[in-house]
Amino acid sequence: MGAHLQQVVSHHDAPIGLPASELHLPARPAKLGAARQYAHEVAAAFGFDSDRCYEIAFAVNEAATNAIRHGKPDEHGCIHLSALADGDRLTLAVRDCGTFVACAGATDALAESGRGFALMERLMDAVQLCVSCGSTTVRLSKARA
Amino acid sequence: MGFFYISDDGTVGDAEHGNAVVVLVAGGEIDYAVSPQLKERIAGRIDEGFTRVVLDLSTATFVDSTAIGALVSAATRLHDLGEGTLAIVCPEENTRVLRIFEIAGVESLIALHSSREEAVAELAVV
Repeated sequence: MGAHLQQVVSHHDAPIGLPASELHLPARPAKLGAARQYAHEVAAAFGFDSDRCYEIAFAVNEAATNAIRHGKPDEHGCIHLSALADGDRLTLAVRDCGTFVACAGATDALAESGRGFALMERLMDAVQLCVSCGSTTVRLSKARA
Repeated sequence: MGFFYISDDGTVGDAEHGNAVVVLVAGGEIDYAVSPQLKERIAGRIDEGFTRVVLDLSTATFVDSTAIGALVSAATRLHDLGEGTLAIVCPEENTRVLRIFEIAGVESLIALHSSREEAVAELAVV
């Protein structure tokens, strides 16, 4: 089963733990493959099987796509991916320097865009959107069976 | 960028009478870096007058939401033309891509077929 999107709006985007690793990714569509590879490698190292690694890489790709497409890069032109392990749970975070504005209403089956979060929610255990002024972070979590 | 390709693979049927089926093949990783190419390629064939389009994704290893959005756009345009149809070929073995289509909930708009022959036959009799 998928997750329900949690949206947290705060002035301070508090860290939820020490990052296990971090990737500064140029905010260009051509770099999405590198985002997927990073997520897949982190998930595999954490012990997920091939299908779960694919799901995690897919969800990270969707979050990174949103960050590149709708967000804002940092002063170096990058978005940020990070990972942390907490017991049996792995969380990958995708952060950009934009301020996310939610679209109203559910995704229309005929709409060309707007499916990214729905897919993330179905593929991950938890999806958390943290928005503060000048920072948008999507946290994607999945636990080992 | 990951590996990606798209190509034309001919037409089946009588193009002069508007009932030909055009076949496109796209493979590899289809993400936001290449989904605009996918959208333009299909739109180009529709602009040429083809209203029955088969897209063979048998060798696609990754299809993201922007690629699905491009397909929804094409399917909607074809639907609006009247008898237009977009059919996707994705065999059962390609479970990862099939699952994404299922989760995306576009079955009512885009027909999925397990083989190219099945898809072409379906569109040829419409």
